[in-house]
Amino acid sequence: MGEQAPARPGRYSPGLPRLVPGTYAAVVLKLPPFVYLAPASLEEALSLHADHEDESRVLAGGQSLIPLLALRLARPEYLVDLSRIGELEGISEEDGAVCIGAMTSELALEHSHLIAERLPLLPQALSFIGHPAIRSRGTLGGSLAHGDPAAELPAVALVLGAQLVAESRDRGRRTIAARDFFLGPFTTALQGDEILTEIRIPWQAPGTGSCFHEVARRLGDFAMVGVAAVARVEQGMIRSCRVALTGVADRAVLRTDGELGLTGESAGSFDAAARRLAEELNPPADLHGSAPYRRHLVRTLVPRVLERACQAAAAGAIS
Amino acid sequence: MIAGRPPAERYTGSSVRRTEDLRLLTGRGRYVADIQVPGLLHCAFNRSPHAHARVLRVQTDVARRAPGVVAVFDGWQMAKLASAAGGMMELMGETNLPSFSLLATDKVRLVGDPVAMVVAETRAIAEDAAELIEVEYEELPAVMTAAQARDGSLPPIFEDLGSNVLFGPDQKVFGEVDRVFAEADRIVKARIAQHRHQNVPMEGRAILATFDQATGELVAHAATQGVNTSRQIIAAQLGMPLEKVRVLAFDIGGSFGLKFGASREEVACCAASRELLRPVRWIEDRLENLTVSGQAREESFDVEAAVTNEGEILGMRVEMVIDSGAYPGFAPGIISTIQEMIPGPYRMRALSFTASGVITNKATYVAYRGPWASETFVRERLIDLVAAELGLDPFEVRLRNLAERGQPPLRMVTGPSLAGLTAKESLLRMGEIFNFEEFRRHQAAMRAQGRYLGVGVATYIEPAPGPRPETPPTELEWARASLGEDGVVSVFTAQMPHGQSHQTTMAQIAADQFGVDFEQVRVVVGDTDQVPEGFGTGGSRFASMAGGAALHVSRQLRSQVLELAAQILDVSPATIDIRAGEVVGDGVPDGRLPLSELVKLARAAAAEGRIPQGTETSLEASFGFDGGQGGWSGGTHCCVVEVDPETGRVRVDRYMVVEDCGEVINPAVVEGQIRGGVAQGIGAVLLERSAYDEWGQYLSSSFMDYLLPTTTDVPNIEIEHLQTIPLDQDVNFRGVGEGGMIVAPPTICNAIADAIAPSGAVVLEQHLPPTRILELMGIIPQPA
Repeated sequence: MGEQAPARPGRYSPGLPRLVPGTYAAVVLKLPPFVYLAPASLEEALSLHADHEDESRVLAGGQSLIPLLALRLARPEYLVDLSRIGELEGISEEDGAVCIGAMTSELALEHSHLIAERLPLLPQALSFIGHPAIRSRGTLGGSLAHGDPAAELPAVALVLGAQLVAESRDRGRRTIAARDFFLGPFTTALQGDEILTEIRIPWQAPGTGSCFHEVARRLGDFAMVGVAAVARVEQGMIRSCRVALTGVADRAVLRTDGELGLTGESAGSFDAAARRLAEELNPPADLHGSAPYRRHLVRTLVPRVLERACQAAAAGAIS
Repeated sequence: MIAGRPPAERYTGSSVRRTEDLRLLTGRGRYVADIQVPGLLHCAFNRSPHAHARVLRVQTDVARRAPGVVAVFDGWQMAKLASAAGGMMELMGETNLPSFSLLATDKVRLVGDPVAMVVAETRAIAEDAAELIEVEYEELPAVMTAAQARDGSLPPIFEDLGSNVLFGPDQKVFGEVDRVFAEADRIVKARIAQHRHQNVPMEGRAILATFDQATGELVAHAATQGVNTSRQIIAAQLGMPLEKVRVLAFDIGGSFGLKFGASREEVACCAASRELLRPVRWIEDRLENLTVSGQAREESFDVEAAVTNEGEILGMRVEMVIDSGAYPGFAPGIISTIQEMIPGPYRMRALSFTASGVITNKATYVAYRGPWASETFVRERLIDLVAAELGLDPFEVRLRNLAERGQPPLRMVTGPSLAGLTAKESLLRMGEIFNFEEFRRHQAAMRAQGRYLGVGVATYIEPAPGPRPETPPTELEWARASLGEDGVVSVFTAQMPHGQSHQTTMAQIAADQFGVDFEQVRVVVGDTDQVPEGFGTGGSRFASMAGGAALHVSRQLRSQVLELAAQILDVSPATIDIRAGEVVGDGVPDGRLPLSELVKLARAAAAEGRIPQGTETSLEASFGFDGGQGGWSGGTHCCVVEVDPETGRVRVDRYMVVEDCGEVINPAVVEGQIRGGVAQGIGAVLLERSAYDEWGQYLSSSFMDYLLPTTTDVPNIEIEHLQTIPLDQDVNFRGVGEGGMIVAPPTICNAIADAIAPSGAVVLEQHLPPTRILELMGIIPQPA
């Protein structure tokens, strides 16, 4: 692959004990017992994952899965760690799309010149994910495959029309459109033996503008509501736009200009569309925000984000 | 600070670099988890998933057989080894206590209640085995609100108490309440509540217990605020003589009131060590810490203020209900302080105070930094409500009601003297630091642009220790000091620093008073074999009480040393002095004699019988201090906020403190204490809540849901110290550890209330997360 993710020193610091494939990890504090597998190639990983299909989970950065294990909310018998597989990391271009290895870290994406140029929405959204320490471990593929309904990256994948490449030992490779990928809370279209290996995202075309913004309790917390938008504006009119939201349903939600009733509308009158969208959604309630609160955020954030996306489009820049 | 400090005081009053810094800032601190002991066993607890249930059966066989497991104790087995009677509440003199056990036997009373304990070769094995224990429960309805506890419709959590009302309603009346309410132009009424939140120390509870077969002594390394108190409880609950228990403590990762005495799990750990004859350690994890270590502050108040149209507050009627949680905790013990302190530094003439306490299936009520803080919250919020009702400025209402030196009676209606009060000065000074008139203009201009800015003020006093009462306290704070052969002065204290820098500040006082370099003082803490009696650190007790004891004991030791030196050198004690670790003055050979040399000379002289009878040669002194004339800590805080009506988020734009904590020992330490307290106050109002659902499941059991303020949530905090009014001839240091957390919540709430007042919002609660702000502003609907 073209641009390589920056090296991550300290990940396998010499002198620290390193779990070897097949080590029975019952001695790990907090986590329930499981067999830890750390294949060195994708082929090997696919094979191990297929062997243990329903009992195995893929470890792709661990920023969500490890806490779930520590709280014993997940109990896989096998953990297939992809972090030794170099071929799953990296950023390159092909046919008008950016191809990102599933194990590319969020921090590497955030600092990539290629991404900044071709997919300016992505680094903007990444800056809302946790903190730099979390982003240095967390991966794009890991976040998408986890399917957290409040995560940022599924919304970005939806709004940018990402194609997700899944591979399995027995059935080979297939490509799933982002809008077919997220099925419910922590549930995706990936089959039990499949591993998400690559994410292909079409360039943000010249003439379009984009924006991501979210409201969370604190800097770095999961969004109560997050909104991603891309828009193309011609002569002050919306030619096309897409809006994706996170934190408002059992999965990230995508709406296009037609669905929003914005086609041909003037770029600047989004309140009515946002109100309709807020009424149509049935957002969840938790400790951090009530359902009416989240609905209110949809009403206030969607116009704000769309305006900025349109401004960016009008400014001729793509961001 | 007091002007005209004697030149001898080189250290007191300056920001001496902390003794603790090197080890703590470079990762060399030693916490209970860092202690290495051969043969160490580890434990983990099986805990209740239910808020309220009968325990029908506990199956431990499978866990017991797991490789690496050494022992498993259920509640009945543990009850044979140790009792839960004789705990902290008995020590505090509580009598109305239910019976229960260290591990649950017949019943569980909250989610996380310990049911069985696994002791294993590693913690990981213990955790895995704890899951193999099968417990059969019969669920009971959970008592989750004070109303449920009081209406008697649900079964009692403790059968032997017969009801879920722990105490009260108990009423106490001060002054002529009915009369001032009859005289009043208006009565302002409100129900004001504090929400449940909690101490979240970086290090949870922790203990490492080693029973020594040879000596029959149990040694416990503990994370505790007082080794003596921990020792008393461990000995009582294990049925051991006090002298057979030794408690040691070194670095402690915070506590904020949580780590007093020894908790049920910690005593169970000691019992296991005695039973298994091996060292056993328990380190509480974050899930345990958030769920069961203890929670605080859940109190509600029905208040009425009798006021005149000019804004004079004549008196108050207060009815308080405190939610004590499941097991006996600090709730009954804090009522008298809340009652006494609620008039604060204000001149009100009458108070009726009624309190009751209830038991619920929630974590036990524990002390949390300024445990009585509700008195300040309720009063300071109420003053703003009075101001709103009368159309007056809250600043003016405070000014009108604050007591003032020279205007008798300088006394709270509840009894305590207000001698030395500087509350009014602190408010007036705040009015100079912050231009309220200019802000009001700016606020109006911003409002016209759709922006919601607010300013809040709150004034408080803290009895740390408070002016000397008519009957001085009988409980003294002790310090012992000795001079060693190396010329080092050792000061022994029962105070147990857990973030307060006592080893620095006490050394500053002793170095100045004795006349040695700061580096020549060693402050000894955390060993029941070495430290004097005393319950430990709490109630902002260190500065006046322990600082005063250190001051007096250092002077006493200095007199003894000078007298001895005079005898040995055959000079008059009046002509010699101790400076920078040397005896200096007329008649001293070469004009100076290092203390180490003096100690050698003294030992030799004593051995040769050259020292006359009656001259003290022990080079040791001990002093019990009763607080002297004491005095108040306190001041005024002010903050400016902006509320975003689109998101309900609050930004603290400016935070200002005018503080009087007496004579400042170490400004950097004092300011650190204030900033930490304010940060916790910001957390309480904007982020932190210990939430349960209606079935008693705990919802805030991880840092994803229990939100602590981070660096991005805490603004720069501007601090100014007032010139204090000294009341004592010698000791005018006053406690400052709790003040920030006492007064920050009302300050911030008052600012938010001011900001959103144009929307018609009335703030009667302390926790104001974004959803609640928008509900109060009428922007989104309130829950049904």
